[in-house]
Amino acid sequence: MTKKHRENLPISPDDFMHEFMRFKRGSVTRRHFLGVTGLGLATAVMARSPGAFSTAAYAAEDLGTKMSIATWPNYHDPATFENFKAATGVAVEVNVFGSNEEMLAKLQAGATGWSLFVPTNYTISTYHKLGLIDELDLSKLTNFSAATENPRFTKEGQIDGKTYAVPKNWGTTGFAVNTSKLKTPMKTWKDFFEVAQTEADHRAMVHDYQLTTIGSALVALGYGFNSIKPDELAKAEELLIKVKPHLFAINSDYQPGMRATDAWMTMCWTNDGAQLNRDIPAIAYVLGTDGGEIWTDYYAIPKDAPNKAAGYALLNYLMDPQNAVKEHIANGAPTTDSRVISLLPKEIVSNKIVYPDEAALTPLEFGAAVTLTDPGRAELMARFKSA
Amino acid sequence: MAVSAENKRRLVTAALVGPAAVWLFTFLVLPFTAVVIFAFGERAPEGGYQPAFTLAQFANLGARSAAFANTLTLAPIGALACLLIAYPVAYYLAIKADQKYRMLLISLIVIPFWTSMLVRTYAWMYLLGARGIPHLFELAGIDDVRLLNTPGAVLLGIVYGYLPLMILPIYVSLEKLDRRLLDASADLGASPVSTFFGVTLPLSLPGVMTGVALVTILLLGEYLIPQLLGGGKVFFIGNALVDLFLQSRNWPFGSAIAVTLVVVVVAVLLVAMRIAWRVSGSRQVDLI
Amino acid sequence: MRALVFALYLFLYAPIALVVLFSFNSGRNASELVGFSTQWYGRALSNPFLMDALQTSLIVAFTSASLAAIFGTMAAIGLERLGQRTRAVFDGLLSAAIVVPGVVIGIATLVALVELFSFLNPAIAAVWPGTDPPKLGLGYGSIVAAHGLFTMALVTMIVRARLASLGRDIIDASSDLYATPLTTFREIVLPQIAPSILAGFLLAFTFSFDDFIIAFFVAGSRTTLPMYVFASIRRGITPEINAIATIVLVASLVLIVMARFLTREKKLKSGAVLQKA
Repeated sequence: MTKKHRENLPISPDDFMHEFMRFKRGSVTRRHFLGVTGLGLATAVMARSPGAFSTAAYAAEDLGTKMSIATWPNYHDPATFENFKAATGVAVEVNVFGSNEEMLAKLQAGATGWSLFVPTNYTISTYHKLGLIDELDLSKLTNFSAATENPRFTKEGQIDGKTYAVPKNWGTTGFAVNTSKLKTPMKTWKDFFEVAQTEADHRAMVHDYQLTTIGSALVALGYGFNSIKPDELAKAEELLIKVKPHLFAINSDYQPGMRATDAWMTMCWTNDGAQLNRDIPAIAYVLGTDGGEIWTDYYAIPKDAPNKAAGYALLNYLMDPQNAVKEHIANGAPTTDSRVISLLPKEIVSNKIVYPDEAALTPLEFGAAVTLTDPGRAELMARFKSA
Repeated sequence: MAVSAENKRRLVTAALVGPAAVWLFTFLVLPFTAVVIFAFGERAPEGGYQPAFTLAQFANLGARSAAFANTLTLAPIGALACLLIAYPVAYYLAIKADQKYRMLLISLIVIPFWTSMLVRTYAWMYLLGARGIPHLFELAGIDDVRLLNTPGAVLLGIVYGYLPLMILPIYVSLEKLDRRLLDASADLGASPVSTFFGVTLPLSLPGVMTGVALVTILLLGEYLIPQLLGGGKVFFIGNALVDLFLQSRNWPFGSAIAVTLVVVVVAVLLVAMRIAWRVSGSRQVDLI
Repeated sequence: MRALVFALYLFLYAPIALVVLFSFNSGRNASELVGFSTQWYGRALSNPFLMDALQTSLIVAFTSASLAAIFGTMAAIGLERLGQRTRAVFDGLLSAAIVVPGVVIGIATLVALVELFSFLNPAIAAVWPGTDPPKLGLGYGSIVAAHGLFTMALVTMIVRARLASLGRDIIDASSDLYATPLTTFREIVLPQIAPSILAGFLLAFTFSFDDFIIAFFVAGSRTTLPMYVFASIRRGITPEINAIATIVLVASLVLIVMARFLTREKKLKSGAVLQKA
């Protein structure tokens, strides 16, 4: 998770304070530093949102000193966790995954050690069905506000009227193109797979993730993103295997490859697209006009979480609009919470990568739960990788 | 008295081998039995395993033929590449190098093992990536050099990781070699080349066989090197296995592949042993 | 030929040099050299997760290597006393433990333990008198067991080779002089095989400390150092990892030099065993 993107931002007073604190840490004692930042943070929270005396709540319960979160690559502002540690004393370990299937496999194979994780909308019903997640205790999430959430992106967190997951942010799956290397104009997934075999030979990446990789291939062939029809999947497999020798890599963490210019084009999520474009303006983010994915990522707490108290504390911290807006600015994924939108700088709200026009979203589909458990899709993906 | 002495002896023997026997049974025999049972089962609807008796998993092995083919070509090629580099080095260390420095030079071969394999492989990811060696080519005016995520990169990683394991056994067998044989051969008028092919090489073959077998067998189960330097494109059986258990959650099929992999390893070992016996003319060859 | 050997050492050490070099990088990226700094050493040592992973790896490696050395040595001695058929079975299992690929060991242990626990845990809960029954799960125990399987077999092989080369007469001589078997073992055999046991222990420790693939499957919620490094590669490696790798390298070099120094006169024998294995 690089911090490069932060350097290119016009620095705000807030960021300046963080940088200053980080700088100071080298020269002042740890205790002093923690005191200063803890105090600073508490003051900031109280001054801005009088309702959320969250620091008091942290003190009431024993949160331990450590917890770990399972999430996606480049998905958080590292400063968030540093601030959380300063406020609560709990250090957060970030584990990143390349697909929901990988997270599910880990949970199915026994203890994971996660106290919070970030599943995507279409997986929550399966986690619930398998008894791997607990209903959330909303009384511990005082910063969460159901009323300000956009229902379009939040409905899959609730099952039978109970809340099992709360939204982190929404986003899209498109592709990123380094326009200083690739000149062919591309608008569709069909274009993507064609250029991958020609101009971008050995320079394109696809996700190590059945939903998006198979889904995009299906879309390129004119089928539905969520199809599990054997004949359509067979066509998609044919396309993927034809493209495979021309790919640079099959990997859901494509930022390092794109930044190093090992790769010139990749399947890409909104947040990565926004980060790449911010640091390297030549990298454009394209939504397929022929289709693709729109998604919401949620926060949920595994049933066997070793430190549920800290999991709730971090989740509540992340739901605080003041913190969520910083996360938003750093990672670039659009929020589902209208309280956060009102706090965002104008240049982000008007950024078409982050908040595309409604027309661009129309062809996109939410992932379907059936794709997670469909053996045909799982095996197709595995065959594609081993081909 | 005789009976009780015999009993006592048995008791002591049982106490000596007992812990190892329990360990082998609990963590080798039982788990492997479970894998064999699983291999005849079915994938549960949400992934994992559900009991059944079917040969479908084995029938489906063809779906991983590419992974098997990759492994079964790159493993021996990797072992041979290691051998080609290792032999001259081991020869130099055992025969030519100054006695004073020999121990130091050998230690230097072993030391890389004490830095994490992962970290060293990561260093290669950097060296082979666009900021590393390809960048140097670019400065020299040669554009578009691609090294990372190719079979070549995987092969390089293999040679890098396993070379010491090839050098050491060859070195040991060359070092044991009676130097008077070499002198005698020279005294009888043999040229250095014919001494090498007539005396040195045949006598070092056990070491060569040990090295080749050891490296090949370890490579058959390799996961990390293809994962990190192959970019998910150069797939070994090890990668297919990890994928089946930690991604597509098809435990029965994964089990069937694991069973097949073990069969392949044992077959390779038996062939290697047979060759070793033939070459050395005796059965006193320990490959492992 | 000397040039070739020189080139080989360059090949072996260039990546290691790079790892060490980047540990002193002042930038956050492990891929762009910005300036000189030792800050990452401080950061690595104060990173609770990295230290936790290091501690887990040290505990696992030490425990599994100790158990492997003790049980392996016992088995090597006991095997000679077994009947031919039993010994053949034992030999087969030991070879299997060595040749079965790590990835298969990991999978097999995972599959067996997950099934076993899913059966045992409800059973324990049913008979447990209190309200909070213990729950068996993957963790230290499973990593130690899976690592120890391979390394115990390794120690057995190494110590056995040494025992075989000892010869019967020295032991017979000892018992002719009315030494008890235990005295014979302590005074005669143990000193002779000690270097091999030590070599076996070191190999076992090194293997366990560096293993990724077995722990990847059976570690449960624990994280070993290689697992931490692997996860770091995915989330973007920082020079912290280089710093910890450098520390481990230097520490093991110091240990090797010390060991060499302490076992100066025995070095040829143990060295040979180490290399044979």
